[in-house]
Amino acid sequence: MDAIIEQYFDLSLMWDSRSEILDGFRYTLQLSVVAGVLSLAWGLILAILRQIPGRAGLLARIPAIAYIDAFRGVPMLLVVLLIFGSLGALTQEGAIPEFIGIPTWFDQPDVFWYGVFAITLTYGAYMAEVYRAGIEAVPGGQMEAARSLGMSHGQAMRRVIVPQAVRKVIPPLLNDFIALMKDTSLVSVIGLIEVVQVGRDIQAETLNSSALMLGAILFLVVTIPLARLVDWQIARQQAQFQRGLA
Amino acid sequence: MVRLEGVRKRFGDLEVLRGVDLEVARGEVVCVIGPSGSGKSTLLRCINLLAPPDEGRVFLGGVEITGKRTQAEINRVRQRIGMVFQQFNLFPHKSALENVVLAQTTVLKRPVKEARSKAESILARVGLSDKLGEYPERLSGGQQQRVAIARALAMDPHVMLFDEVTSALDPELIKEVLDVMRGLAADGMTMVVVTHEMGFARDVANDVIFMDEGVIVEEGPVRRVIDAPREERTKRFLGLVLER
Repeated sequence: MDAIIEQYFDLSLMWDSRSEILDGFRYTLQLSVVAGVLSLAWGLILAILRQIPGRAGLLARIPAIAYIDAFRGVPMLLVVLLIFGSLGALTQEGAIPEFIGIPTWFDQPDVFWYGVFAITLTYGAYMAEVYRAGIEAVPGGQMEAARSLGMSHGQAMRRVIVPQAVRKVIPPLLNDFIALMKDTSLVSVIGLIEVVQVGRDIQAETLNSSALMLGAILFLVVTIPLARLVDWQIARQQAQFQRGLA
Repeated sequence: MVRLEGVRKRFGDLEVLRGVDLEVARGEVVCVIGPSGSGKSTLLRCINLLAPPDEGRVFLGGVEITGKRTQAEINRVRQRIGMVFQQFNLFPHKSALENVVLAQTTVLKRPVKEARSKAESILARVGLSDKLGEYPERLSGGQQQRVAIARALAMDPHVMLFDEVTSALDPELIKEVLDVMRGLAADGMTMVVVTHEMGFARDVANDVIFMDEGVIVEEGPVRRVIDAPREERTKRFLGLVLER
């Protein structure tokens, strides 16, 4: 038993490694927030493209559906590696400008931005499906009312449907964000020294997993309150719904 | 004001409207009665092109609105036709005032001040001055329906379509909505009203149309159709409805 505690909860080791772990977790948080916000936006754009009506709309719908299927059907790790493997090489060959191929925007390393691209491309697809469920859950009468007032499809979506849809799907979007935050650890495979990578390095040096455990605890410090936030949102919506039925 | 010629509408295998001809003059109030499934709601939706007819033509103010039309033209036509729904369909994320303002600013591009003051005066007309800031979930059914009527009126439509607007209301709330509609009729609004409220029809309508199975079975002045129907189907339907 003592051996287990020492392996995972060596407090002095945790204390010693705290600044490295926190540095790594800073990358985790930055990656989560930047990619999270971009995914939320990209997902909404995809969801709207996916349902543009009419024959002309096919030009938007078909690529959107294909994109969503592709990025939900492939492991994000693969996407990370594909981006990492290609962008650098393409820049060398001059196929893409260095500004994009080896991005160092805001003084973040290129692997950070590769991570942002990969996460946004992937989670955008997941969130698009969540938004879509929200859009489809808005009663059909809303669109009828908006169109009967003379609004175009786009105006109806923007003013009436999407605001309602987004409100409905805040809990699943928050859940996706929690998943996104955990998946930032996958970017470690291309060399970003985020919290899991730091923990692994220390684990290899010391043959002790306490630093990784500290990393895990840091994750929980963020994800558990977020999970309660989701619960609270769901309860709020339930209460509103009950009031509406009364 | 509104004219339908040979309108047919199909949903998949089911032909809901099987050749309807109708004419509504300016300022006229026409009530449409009939059993459910007779096509009454679809008829209204053909007028404002929410359900574009498969065959036949629709005219608004003498100008054909069916046929090859761009989406923008259809949207413009709908600006001149107001519709009120059985389920109210108020925008739940907007207050009563905002509901009435939204289409004015978005579609008609009215300045916000103008739209708000128009909204306030119409909401006052339907008796809801004290509810401007309330959200639909806090309004009774009758109040919501009156907001819905105000929302449609704010667009200055040439004709108002009412789709069983009191059928989802508790009985004690029906009168307040019918009173608003009576007021509109008295002010000369052209109205097509799908309803089960025979009392309202008798009081307010110029003409009554009885529909069954996608066709107009009988039409004529309200006194005659309701009090002395000629067709067997009309008599049977009225027998069932008036008996309660």
